[in-house]
Amino acid sequence: MDDQELLGLIRRAQGGDAAAFARLLDLHYDTIHRLSWKWCGNRADADDIAQQACIKLAGSLPQFRFQSAFRSWLYHLVLSCARDWQRSQRRHDHDELLENHPASQASRTEDSIYLTQLLSQLDSLGEGMKDTALLVHAEGLSHAEAGAVLGVSESTISWRIHTMRKQMNRREAVAGGAL
Amino acid sequence: MNAHSFERELQDLQPPAADPEARLRAREAALAEFGRIYPAEPVEKPATSPGRWKLFAWPRGGMAWGGMATACVALVAVSLLWLTPAEKRLIRSPVSVIAEQRAPERAAPDAEAQVAQRAEPAAAPLAIPPPVKREIPPASARPPKVDQPSDAASRATLQKATPEQESRDDFRKSASASTALTNVTNAPPPPAPPVAPAAAQGSLQEVQVTGSRIQSRAYDSPMPVVTMQPGATDPGRFGHFESNPLKRVADAPVSTFSVDVDTASYAVVRRQINEGQLPPADAVRVEEMINYFDYAWPAATSRNQPFRPTIAVSDSPWSEGRKLIHIGIKGYELPVRQQPDVNLVLLLDVSGSMNSPDKLPLAQQSLALLLDSLKPTDTVAIVVYAGAAGQVLAPTPVSEREAILRALYSLRPGGSTAGAAGIRLAYELAERSFRKEGVNRILLATDGDFNVGITDLEQLKSFVARERDKGVFLSVLGFGEGNYRDDMAQMLAQNGNGVAAYIDTVAEARKVLVQQATGSLFTIAKDVKLQVEFNPSTVAEYRLIGYETRALNEEDFNNDKVDAGDVGSGHTVTAIYEITPAGLKSSLDERRYAGRQPAPAASSSKANEYGYLKIRYKLPDSNRSRLIEQPILADAGIPAALRQDVAFSTAVAGFGQVLRDGRDTGKWGLNDVIRLAQSSVGADPHGYRAEFLQLVRRAQAMEAKD
Repeated sequence: MDDQELLGLIRRAQGGDAAAFARLLDLHYDTIHRLSWKWCGNRADADDIAQQACIKLAGSLPQFRFQSAFRSWLYHLVLSCARDWQRSQRRHDHDELLENHPASQASRTEDSIYLTQLLSQLDSLGEGMKDTALLVHAEGLSHAEAGAVLGVSESTISWRIHTMRKQMNRREAVAGGAL
Repeated sequence: MNAHSFERELQDLQPPAADPEARLRAREAALAEFGRIYPAEPVEKPATSPGRWKLFAWPRGGMAWGGMATACVALVAVSLLWLTPAEKRLIRSPVSVIAEQRAPERAAPDAEAQVAQRAEPAAAPLAIPPPVKREIPPASARPPKVDQPSDAASRATLQKATPEQESRDDFRKSASASTALTNVTNAPPPPAPPVAPAAAQGSLQEVQVTGSRIQSRAYDSPMPVVTMQPGATDPGRFGHFESNPLKRVADAPVSTFSVDVDTASYAVVRRQINEGQLPPADAVRVEEMINYFDYAWPAATSRNQPFRPTIAVSDSPWSEGRKLIHIGIKGYELPVRQQPDVNLVLLLDVSGSMNSPDKLPLAQQSLALLLDSLKPTDTVAIVVYAGAAGQVLAPTPVSEREAILRALYSLRPGGSTAGAAGIRLAYELAERSFRKEGVNRILLATDGDFNVGITDLEQLKSFVARERDKGVFLSVLGFGEGNYRDDMAQMLAQNGNGVAAYIDTVAEARKVLVQQATGSLFTIAKDVKLQVEFNPSTVAEYRLIGYETRALNEEDFNNDKVDAGDVGSGHTVTAIYEITPAGLKSSLDERRYAGRQPAPAASSSKANEYGYLKIRYKLPDSNRSRLIEQPILADAGIPAALRQDVAFSTAVAGFGQVLRDGRDTGKWGLNDVIRLAQSSVGADPHGYRAEFLQLVRRAQAMEAKD
């Protein structure tokens, strides 16, 4: 599908064409889910985040003004859903503790635990760091594109990438130094 | 780790394919939302029936997540009542979808009511819905999709719903279920849904919506879990205890205690002193300091009588006229070929606080060292908690060393999300690969965050004890400083038939996990209790040095139900009594009324006995105790070969007492400790005794400064 086709689809969906919206969803669900998964590190949560993003897409689509690339706009939307989701999770941490389902914990793959840990580490480096790392490293966006998604300048993205590299290297050096 | 490895890791991520069910649910929910936003548009109905979706007023511009989740509690509880078991199983994130599916049924009074009844068997209890499973039910169990009305019920629903779509507002007012829905949009507080009878009210409280997942909350679960703010309340890192007092033999001739093979206290003391701080008294458990060192007490030669006691009597260096009685035990050392199979589960704390070189990285190295002590056929599993929770490595044979190391070293500290169920999962894994004839043990490595999923101390204790009775033991490796909960580590290890070790350096890890690995892993005797009955005609007073936290009642000795410490392969355990021989000026005043009892006639033949030692123990696979007995002879002296060991252990005991309070050591001070230790360093193959000397010197320098 070329850009024109995509823009046409968006216009039709904005005009209330449910079929066009459904097609738009079908085209982008994988992207949405993929980013959601990378953001949270496990599939069940990614399912939830992706679903919220889809719902939000319906509500927000009228606000898409064709001033940015649809993909960037979509990334922005998914990330903001993910953050909302995380906030709601924090609120419910207490309840999570009351649950007891080691089976589901066990079914998580090894990778997702490492990813979860890496993500929380990146998150601890400062605001926007994790999102920046995900967009640039995991999704392959250019610094300019990532800046557009996150609403910051290209140089801010470059600075963040540099800072993360430095800090992560230092952490690993510290960890390795104990050897 | 390589530079920029995290970048490569992110680049190489392999997101799993989206679950088709989830995709479908998301699509339906989004289309419903779309239909709500463009209600007037007569659009084609690709996969769903938009008309039905329009009945719902979701908040604009995304979800008010937390609010929605809470508000949905009421709604969901009600909705669940109408679901078939199969549907209940399916409920997961689409709270909305389910609510939407159900609302029209409630809306239409007559025909729909029947539909609703059909959907739910008449006898359906208003009870707590079962916990929601993540798994997708088998196709046969799945309820028909909304958009594929394959049975009469949902077709009826559809037909009924469609004509009603225009009068949305009226519908909302009239229908109880959608009243609840309206409230979701954060308007006025939800009135109790009229359809919910009292019983349903009860269930409301029990349904929890967490995020978008519904979980039933098992209040009656045998092990409810309470939240603890880690570090929020810190009742002190060390449990308080008083030093054992001097006791008059005439009053209390019997002394009973459990063995203690832990050594954590010494490592803690060492660390504090090395950091320029004298340790608080409660951190000093003298017996753990003594037992940190290896002594050449003769070992037993058979597995069936796993140890024999060594007794030495010497002069007390710190109080003239008094004697020290050493009771030394060395556990039978299992030859390598006799080592039982090991099923080990490492339970690692990966919370953010572990992010320090002396914490997670040291734990990783320590555990890597441990692999050297295991047989290729032994298995290791890894579970993490706190920073993330879950299984990192399924039980894996040690022969797959690389896989274990890779899993171990990939862990990073970080995150504060409490990972529940960490400890349960660890035990679950241990039970899954349970070795009936072998060793099944959880090794918990933490810096003090014991938020393993059960945070009520008593429950955690009894959980660990129950698992112990099932044959899965627990040991604790403590790391780092700051919030290290020594008291918790002790408590857990004691209840789990394990050791608590504090690891501050790689050298310490090597000592605990390599040199003493067999001891830490292979129990040769359990519930080992010591009892000494002193002879009133030869001993006036006695004092047990250390073991305060291991004291037992006299009657516990013969009670096999009373748990006590365990001795591992090759472990040495040493207990020291200080006694005042009869006839010597005692420090306790003589009793005016009880007076001095004339020595019973029978005792004349035992005039050369200070007392009588009894040891009770159980073989690892037995629940009945055995007894070892031996008199403590006044003229036992010190076997020549053990002279240095007796002297050195005395020096350590003296050091511990001086550090605690010096109450019983009088003028005898650190200088004397050094002199005594210097004279008894012996061969010291690993340099532990030399290190001890350095430590005392350091403490001395600090003492001088004060």
